Amino acid sequence: MSMEDYDFLFKIVLIGNAGVGKTCLVRRFTQGLFPPGQGATIGVDFMIKTVEIKGEKVKLQIWDTAGQERFRSITQSYYRSANALILTYDITCEESFRCLPEWLREIEQYASNKVITVLVGNKIDLAEKREVSKQRAEEFSEAQNMYYLETSAKESDNVEKLFLDLACRLISEARQNTLVNNVASPLPGEGKSISYLTCCNFN
Amino acid sequence: MPSAPEGMNRTGNHQMIHPLLPTPSLWQTKVRDTIPARFAWPLFWNGDQFCWDLTWEEISECSSRRAMGVCGCCGALRPRYKRLVDNIFPEDPEDGLVKTNMEKLTFYALSAPEKLDRIGAYLSERLIRDVGRHRYGYVCIAMEALDQLLMACHCQSINLFVESFLKMVAKLLESEKSNLQILGTNSFVKFANIEEDTPSYHRSYDFFVSRFSEMCHSSHDELEIRTKIRMSGIKGLQGVVRKTVNDELQANIWDPQHMDKIVPSLLFNLQHAEEAESRSPSPLQATEKEKESPTELAERCLRELLGRAAYGNIKNAIKPVLIHLDNHSLWEPKTFAIRCFKIIMYSIQPQHSHLVIQQLLGHLDANSKSAATVRAGIVEVLSEAAVIAASGSVGPTVLEVFNTLLRQLRLSIDYELTGSYDCAVVSTKIIKEHEERMFQEAVIKTTGSFASTLPTYQRSEVMLFIMSKVPLPSLHHAIDAGKAGENRNRLTQIMLLKSLLQVSTGFQCSNMLTALPSSFLDRLLSAALMEDADLRLFVLEILISFIDRHGNRPKFSTISTINDISVLKLKVDKCSRQDTVFMKKHSQQLYRHIYLTSKEESNVQPHYEALYSMLALISIELANEEVVVDLIRLVLAVQEIAQINEDNLPVYNRCALYALGAAYLNLISQLTTVPAFCQHIHEVLETRQKEAPYLLPEDVFVEMPRLTKSLDHLVPEVFFRQSKISEVLGGSGYNSDRLSTPYIPQLTDEDRLSKRKSIGETISLQVEVESRNSPEKEERAPAEEITYETLKKAIVDSVAVEEQERERRRLVVEKFQKAPFEEIAAHCGARASLLQSKLNQIFEITIRPPPSPSGTITAAYGQPQNHSIPVYEMKFPDLCVY
Repeated sequence: MSMEDYDFLFKIVLIGNAGVGKTCLVRRFTQGLFPPGQGATIGVDFMIKTVEIKGEKVKLQIWDTAGQERFRSITQSYYRSANALILTYDITCEESFRCLPEWLREIEQYASNKVITVLVGNKIDLAEKREVSKQRAEEFSEAQNMYYLETSAKESDNVEKLFLDLACRLISEARQNTLVNNVASPLPGEGKSISYLTCCNFN
Repeated sequence: MPSAPEGMNRTGNHQMIHPLLPTPSLWQTKVRDTIPARFAWPLFWNGDQFCWDLTWEEISECSSRRAMGVCGCCGALRPRYKRLVDNIFPEDPEDGLVKTNMEKLTFYALSAPEKLDRIGAYLSERLIRDVGRHRYGYVCIAMEALDQLLMACHCQSINLFVESFLKMVAKLLESEKSNLQILGTNSFVKFANIEEDTPSYHRSYDFFVSRFSEMCHSSHDELEIRTKIRMSGIKGLQGVVRKTVNDELQANIWDPQHMDKIVPSLLFNLQHAEEAESRSPSPLQATEKEKESPTELAERCLRELLGRAAYGNIKNAIKPVLIHLDNHSLWEPKTFAIRCFKIIMYSIQPQHSHLVIQQLLGHLDANSKSAATVRAGIVEVLSEAAVIAASGSVGPTVLEVFNTLLRQLRLSIDYELTGSYDCAVVSTKIIKEHEERMFQEAVIKTTGSFASTLPTYQRSEVMLFIMSKVPLPSLHHAIDAGKAGENRNRLTQIMLLKSLLQVSTGFQCSNMLTALPSSFLDRLLSAALMEDADLRLFVLEILISFIDRHGNRPKFSTISTINDISVLKLKVDKCSRQDTVFMKKHSQQLYRHIYLTSKEESNVQPHYEALYSMLALISIELANEEVVVDLIRLVLAVQEIAQINEDNLPVYNRCALYALGAAYLNLISQLTTVPAFCQHIHEVLETRQKEAPYLLPEDVFVEMPRLTKSLDHLVPEVFFRQSKISEVLGGSGYNSDRLSTPYIPQLTDEDRLSKRKSIGETISLQVEVESRNSPEKEERAPAEEITYETLKKAIVDSVAVEEQERERRRLVVEKFQKAPFEEIAAHCGARASLLQSKLNQIFEITIRPPPSPSGTITAAYGQPQNHSIPVYEMKFPDLCVY
């Protein structure tokens, strides 16, 4: 009955310090490329990718936010409607890891309480410059009850896995919820049942 | 002919298909592959006629009534609306919309509006498919068709059609292609301008707001495309605002979740004006100069948004602005912040402007510990905003506004003195003294601009408020001891007096008595503010700005003895009755202040200039005969200060006092226009010119004063003589008795006890203390030999008399303070009854009452008695006794 070109729609927001590779992760996933010398994101960036998981079409609306402090207020306004947050840090940058608690506080404050958060350590291709050990990150994510993954946008390591795993989790999460339609909040204009049930068909 | 969509079972209109029919996907695809569309609609036998124009449902209904076998030929059937829709698409997308077929579709949609939603659904289905297949030509055509349908059919049936329409716009906006994004936005904007009459409760614009805000931040590599996308984003936001703002049932655009996206996006574009313009415009852009830049568009959109904001929404709209300015640290160069708030203040509904001011004040408080430059920026913005909002800027909580500003001022003084934001914690930030100073100046300026928006009565209220905040030593307020405390007090006093001066400049009170109540004047003239040279000057300036109501002040800015004062073109009004009452009440205080101020050794030229202006302005604004007499006495007493020189003043101060006296007497003599008086003054001035030019303002009040070494051997002719003046003025009807009495400042209890304490309230009794028992003074010429004994005698005598007088006064005061109210009332009542009996006697003598005295009397006592009562019968009401 649905006229949509998807079965599920999820909003995913990427957050994390400036320069940890959020935009590159999204580009790699949605366009399959790694833009060298990617400039700082201004405000927010938007991408769409539809994937198929176990026969279900899942549309992922990905909002890539600027890490810079000066855009913090506008990026925060995007957390609220997110179904999932990808909290990214750079494994070669201790500072970006140390800022994580601060980010968690922001999530606590601005995001919905049902949001799924994934911790991502990016840039594993630069293993020789690693400053944050995997174990430390795992311990941290465990303590915070987060799913943890290490990726490389450059080598395309774990990038697909990150988004597909996330989509799977979102689907199962949505299924658990009896009101499936409400979780993937409908796009504007999706009148769904109302429009056709009330319409007279035969005259 | 467009091929059938794949997966028709997924996206088709399922409910159209009758359950008895075979699955549509099977036969539809099969049949349509073989029969061209225009022949796909077979003749259909419907009872007794052939129907060419049956809809799909009608056919399926018919077919269900008949045998299943008939359906074989129904396989080629396509609903008419689909056929019409398909026909608008040309073979080659380059050809554009097939106009004639579009007209047919429009006609059909208008005649059968109930089909509109299905047309929409089918169009959107096609469009989504075309987007997926990158057939952008068809996408554009579909959008054009949708726009035309939307325009043609804005009626109540639009509601369902809109669903599909918005889905298509969303689909286009999801695309990465900038062209499609812009196409979608343009359609959306067209849609936004349609007024719908039926609300749609379930429609949500979340995605649109998010996406348009994102587009406003576009960072596309190519400048031209980036500009286009950003403009599109702004237009889209404008559309969302237009669409939702008036409809309470729809998504509340004023919610923080939307405002936090919309407002920063607009500001972001507003802010990048310079950046975009500085890039060399390509020739293409130059030709399209008439087109707006994102900056202009953003400004227009912001204005529109704010103009629509109702009382309850202002806060949500302004908060993102403040946060944006914080985050992008835009308070410091402040030009942008000021620009923003100018836009806000000019576009917001005027009755709400005080809310903006309140929010700015709140923001200032929240930023108490930010750098001084940030605070200064906020305060400057406040000042600008206040001017624009004018009368609406302060709102219902007048004193709250000033309280906040004064609190910030005090905090800043603390920061400056302690060198940190927090006494307990060692602050990492270094406080720069000059930045704090700048901030303080900004606060003072802002206080002034707020005050200038207030009506007179509120202004004097504010002045009272500020005055009450000036730390003064008294019994109630223990003053901080120690050097630091004193320093702090002094700074606070200076800052507050500066604010007061700001508030009082341009203040034109018609009634001095209400503008300057005793509580205010007492504090302003208190001794604590006289010790410090800077404070003293501020006090004088404040007084001057109160007294000067005709803008005469600049004419007295330099002290001089001009021969003809008509060149000054003074504006003089006759002293009003209220002013006379004011002078009766407070003149002694003012004279005393002038007298004591002139005595101070730390005076410099500005002090003397201020004193001169003050004397001159009192003579112009507030003078009657009595005041003129008193002022002359006062100036003569000031001359005496220099002459006797009890305080061992330096030569400069003494010369300055002589010169001050000369200048003032020159002025007043010409104001009184008594020829003999003018004559005397002129003579003295001439003598001085010859014998002692260093006693004239022209020699004293210059950059390099030409002074003498000693003032010990002056001839008596260079002085103004009291006896002479009283003689010449007495001849013209001035009170020569009073004139011949030397002026002695009225002492207050404050002076008597100590300079640091004051007795709660001084009841100001208008008893002039005059030491008439010292006739020597009157006669005393400077050449006369004065022995120590005579002086001592004079002082002791006058003190004794004064003491007696004071004792008597104290008894009276005490009686009124301590005696029970009834007793005082009885005392007065007794007098009243005495008066009553006296009056009765008088009235009994006159046989007939005067014709209509009752009217005047009743009016005077405010008793609503209309019938006439003979005056003598009337009892004074008891109330009058009190």
